[in-house]
Amino acid sequence: MIRIKLMLLMTGILATSGLWSQDKFEKERRIKRKDVPSEALKFLDSLHIKSRVKWFQEEGLIDKSIEAKFKRNKIRYSVEFDSTGRIEDIEMELPWRHVELSVRNRISSQLEQNCTKHKIVKVQRQFSGKASDLLTWMQTSTSTKLLTINYEIIVKCSQQKHVDLYEYLFNAHGETLSVSKIVFKNSSHLEY
Amino acid sequence: MVKRFQFLKLSLKIAVTLNTKVASLFVLSLLSVHNIFFAQGFFELGILPAVNFNKKFKNDWSLNSRIESRMLLQSGVIRGSVDKSFNYVLTDFSLIAAKKVGLNSRVAAGYLIRFEEGYIHHRFIQQYTIVQGFAGFRLAHRFVSDQTFSSIAAPEFRLRYRITAELPLNGESVDPGEFYVKINNEYLNSFQARVFDLEIRIVPLLGYDFTDKLRLETGLDYRVDSFLEKKTSHTYWMTVNFFMEF
Repeated sequence: MIRIKLMLLMTGILATSGLWSQDKFEKERRIKRKDVPSEALKFLDSLHIKSRVKWFQEEGLIDKSIEAKFKRNKIRYSVEFDSTGRIEDIEMELPWRHVELSVRNRISSQLEQNCTKHKIVKVQRQFSGKASDLLTWMQTSTSTKLLTINYEIIVKCSQQKHVDLYEYLFNAHGETLSVSKIVFKNSSHLEY
Repeated sequence: MVKRFQFLKLSLKIAVTLNTKVASLFVLSLLSVHNIFFAQGFFELGILPAVNFNKKFKNDWSLNSRIESRMLLQSGVIRGSVDKSFNYVLTDFSLIAAKKVGLNSRVAAGYLIRFEEGYIHHRFIQQYTIVQGFAGFRLAHRFVSDQTFSSIAAPEFRLRYRITAELPLNGESVDPGEFYVKINNEYLNSFQARVFDLEIRIVPLLGYDFTDKLRLETGLDYRVDSFLEKKTSHTYWMTVNFFMEF
């Protein structure tokens, strides 16, 4: 009898866990270099990165992507590829004060409209365009004319009685392209 | 002895299949706890299963309920006489209401009732927690004050601080279907009948995230106290924690 009850309990748990997993399906996992598509490897290798490159696979509801993270000249870079290894964009972390003043002012005024109080947590400059143009820019750090530049900014935003973290995407002129709320992973196992 | 080595062998097996650096840390902490086992003093060895339910409500409120039991398998003097009889020790039921007060912080208050050897203990709990996210791991700080009352002992007042690290064994954060290592280190200052005592807990755990709302953790909960009075007592609990989110 006890065995049957235990089996029923386990079945219940497994059945409901399947339902919960439908809430959100976004997963990233570390992958080895040998599992990276050759096109992505070729791009990264031509950059001659001296520091360690960490490879990740991100799995969304619809698609998968590959991401390479590394440091170059003390700057954190993140290069994103699609599942076949075709480059999508390059993100480089930078201090807020390094963003052009006119862009900073426009972004700040937008954030002031949306939040009663805000704090910029992280700034990334995002470059997208043709693979050859992105490669030239990474190798020479010169002209970015052929590339599209956006800013991905993580902001701590207070609205009325709520404090939340948001990911903003601005274009090169500081105009808002998208806003999404960052949902924190459950932490009750760390608190109790 | 054979069982002990089988356990270490299993830990090592898990370590090689997962992220080597973090997993090695876990094995090392298990080994260090294992070494302390052979130190001088009194000891208790048992099982500590716990089930945790957490429910979120509107306006950043949440309710946490926990049921925890203790069962003793062995106790006695290290390298001395040992009582190997199985003893059920106690069961705790707790209910804590929490309110998010910042981006990553929460204040909480609650009540715990303990059933131990036919007596009832009442504990009132107040806590503040803050969870910090970093690239590759999470850190949680917990500050607790509690007051325990019963008909058989003087009231006990405690001030506790716990730091918890969560280290994913795959990727930069723990995702469903992944293992992780959790390490707790807690300091408990106790005042009872004008006597002060300090208890230190070190808890290395291996966890598995079934979904973001269902987790299972297991490992060793090592506690040392009374060392200020040179009557050091070591307690080793084999823990199994189950966390469910509604």
